[in-house]
Amino acid sequence: MNYPAWDVAFGAGLLIALVAILHVFVSHFAVGGGLFLVLTEQKARRNNDLALLNWLKSHTRFFVLVTVVFGAVSGVGIWFTIGLIGPVATSNLIHAYVWGWAIEWVFFFIEITAALLYLYGWEKLDARLHEWYGWIYFIAAFASMVVINGIITFMLTPGNWVKNHQFWTGFFNPTSFPSLFLRFDIALALAGIYALITASVQKDAALKARIVRWSALWIVPSLAVLPALGWWYIRKIPAEVWASARGPMPTGTHYAVLAAVLLAVTFALALLTLVRPGRIPLAFSLLVALVALGAMGSFEFVREAIRKPYVIGNYLYANSLYATQMPGDGGFGVDEVNNAGILQTGKWINNRELTKDNQVTVGRDVFRVECQSCHTTNSYRGVKSYLKLRQWDQNKIQAMLGGLEFMHNGVMPPFAGTDSERNALAAFLGTIQPNPAGAAAVADGKTVFERNCVMCHQVSTADPFYTKLPKDPNAASEALKDLPSLFPLMPDLKLSDQERTALVQWMNTQRSAKGPGTATQGGN
Amino acid sequence: MMQPDLIPALDPNPLPAPYWVFKLLLVVTFFLHIVAMNFMLGGAVLALVSKWRSGDRENGNRVFFDVARKLPSLLPATITLGIAPLLFVQVLYGQFFYTSSIIIAWPWFLVLVFLTLAYYGFYLASFQSGQHAGKAGGVMLSSVILIFLIGFVYSNNLTLSQSPSRWGGKYFADPAGWNLNLSEPTLIPRFLHFMVAAVAVGGLFLIFVALANWKRDREYARRVLQFGGKAFMYATIAQLVVGVVFLVSLPRDMRMLYMGDNSLATILLLVGVAGGIGAIFLMSDALRKENVRVAAFYVPGIIGVVILSMSVMRDILRDAYLKPYFHPEQFVVKTQWSVFPLFLVLFLAGVILWLVMLKRYGLFSGTKAADTLPSAGSQAAKRS
Repeated sequence: MNYPAWDVAFGAGLLIALVAILHVFVSHFAVGGGLFLVLTEQKARRNNDLALLNWLKSHTRFFVLVTVVFGAVSGVGIWFTIGLIGPVATSNLIHAYVWGWAIEWVFFFIEITAALLYLYGWEKLDARLHEWYGWIYFIAAFASMVVINGIITFMLTPGNWVKNHQFWTGFFNPTSFPSLFLRFDIALALAGIYALITASVQKDAALKARIVRWSALWIVPSLAVLPALGWWYIRKIPAEVWASARGPMPTGTHYAVLAAVLLAVTFALALLTLVRPGRIPLAFSLLVALVALGAMGSFEFVREAIRKPYVIGNYLYANSLYATQMPGDGGFGVDEVNNAGILQTGKWINNRELTKDNQVTVGRDVFRVECQSCHTTNSYRGVKSYLKLRQWDQNKIQAMLGGLEFMHNGVMPPFAGTDSERNALAAFLGTIQPNPAGAAAVADGKTVFERNCVMCHQVSTADPFYTKLPKDPNAASEALKDLPSLFPLMPDLKLSDQERTALVQWMNTQRSAKGPGTATQGGN
Repeated sequence: MMQPDLIPALDPNPLPAPYWVFKLLLVVTFFLHIVAMNFMLGGAVLALVSKWRSGDRENGNRVFFDVARKLPSLLPATITLGIAPLLFVQVLYGQFFYTSSIIIAWPWFLVLVFLTLAYYGFYLASFQSGQHAGKAGGVMLSSVILIFLIGFVYSNNLTLSQSPSRWGGKYFADPAGWNLNLSEPTLIPRFLHFMVAAVAVGGLFLIFVALANWKRDREYARRVLQFGGKAFMYATIAQLVVGVVFLVSLPRDMRMLYMGDNSLATILLLVGVAGGIGAIFLMSDALRKENVRVAAFYVPGIIGVVILSMSVMRDILRDAYLKPYFHPEQFVVKTQWSVFPLFLVLFLAGVILWLVMLKRYGLFSGTKAADTLPSAGSQAAKRS
């Protein structure tokens, strides 16, 4: 609300993901591929393997066309895109880390120059000098990765930076080293994976077999140690950061599983290349690359998912509000917005007056400034599908908006704003999914649970649902009449008698079925 | 209508070095970016002109490919040198730059698509040779058009970034970001000012091509020198007109900055105009005498000073536009002494390494000053 919000119909988050995933898939290749070029050149010269050397020349051209062109433009593309979609986070990253970015730029400048001279130098330079450019390229590329990795991991696990705002505290944060090793390992694997592509179009079967075996030597060991590095990385991520990825809306867990599966497939496919290395078709090498892209993309999705509700951990929420009030926040801390209201704090608000007649219009504005950085109405992370699943009417939406930060293990920021603004948002959301089925149609306790409780509660005897509610069905049903009196943070849901009875009955059958202490997670 | 309440607030992080450090870096890196851009775009335009103008077809094609083969290096130079001012403009002017970018979000995002396509186009054109020369021209033309479009979007964004009074109307009319800043009176003159400059400096780039061939193939080098030199002169003459139109299109109080109200701005404008006119005469004389030394060293030297003054003038103009909204005093400065010196050291080391890389590659050899002494040129001129 400090900056205008760009209305991307299909979802702003999806656009960032698209640009970023394509970029990382190329930029990691730019690092690993650099080492691959120079080591392959040394190997070819040592063995006097002219055919390999000739292939490497064409592979260099491919490398430059992919990394120097697409890699560089998509890297600038990330800056463009995050500036458009998350200007507050971008501005924070720029001001806190401009010297980091400037240092990275120096490395990048060297990297690009060295890449071009290495490419054009194939015909012009003697072996030693040519390899010298190759080494400079690789070292510069690796150094630029070190810098960017420090800043990216800072966003996920800023550690003590949140307290002292010191450059190096944020840079050397709990995940910076595991992430660096992890990413470099991925880079080495990608060097081999990309090499399969240019190898597969070679006509000389013997040469092809040599390149494929050499590429497999980059892919297989790298992927074999990847799980261990991943484990190290995960262990360094604080439990509360992971929490949002687990539980009833486990986006992060889903992507983590997907990443692991696709990684295993990539590994298997890489081994498969060794069966008939001289006969790998282009389609197969592209398949390997595609699966690896999927694995890499899923990994980045995990990182983004577990970072929620923050864009910079414990500091800035994904919707550009500051987690705590601090000097210089421009009034955009959650508490400040709660007190002053969105309509008075927000700069890019069309209607500053909330009346009876403009509730929905104002609600649309509130949605745009508070929700739209992650959600759309009916597309990527569309709220319509959630509302349809839960069948909430406007009153229930209004009650639930009061506890967004507790839902799904805290994956969302809290609603910030006044009660009347929250009502306006509820009014707008009510128009998105206009005709909820209503309480009368629901007789099934499980459905009641899934529509009303699963966001925060689990079917577990350790859950307050069991520990706080009386065992007697009638007393329990009676207690559910007034939720805030049970626990002040509970939403004031008005469940019908029928719903309450059904819910209590179903909960009790679960209690006996699961036995004490068993924890299962509700469905999504 | 003034809407100062739309100006976004800064973030809580202090400025990690004094204001002037970023200002200096912004202006200097912008200058380098614009020089690379001019070589790239102007070179490409003149390569096409050379290819398609009537007359000597063989030489035209040769110039075309001589330039085409350098474009895949000039474009990344432009991009890489553009990243730095993009970074520093966000440090100082993020409140304005992000906002205008968001208002014209889709055209701004499309810059990336255009750039990727133009880039691959340059490579494709450079890979062609003799027989496919025709196709290469079409491909390069497409790239050039895309780059003009990018320049146009940039002109839209940067003029909008300094016109906050226009923000609200545009954004609320279309928050989906399909906007431009077409109602801005200075938009077209400003855009043309940059594009015509690119052609002029592209002419100087051709003179460097001539210089590189001076010893190897004098006949060819002479033609390139004449072609590049004339292109430089015509474009610079055109620039005198475009520049006046640009100046006139500015609001009165901005225009008066350059006509007495701000002495630095006035001096810089005089330097720019005098430098431009002086360079035209010097070039004309150098072409007549075929003095490649003057054309390749003195004229670019003068034009370098001119572009640098223009870069400073541009900065003065931006600050004048933003005066009601932007106050450098707003920044809390807390220099990051643990990093800033590291940047300076690495930057210096980077520049040295970069020069060593170019030197070892042999980019500085082959054009010894001795080969280009005026005597060689003047003798040639006497003969012809």
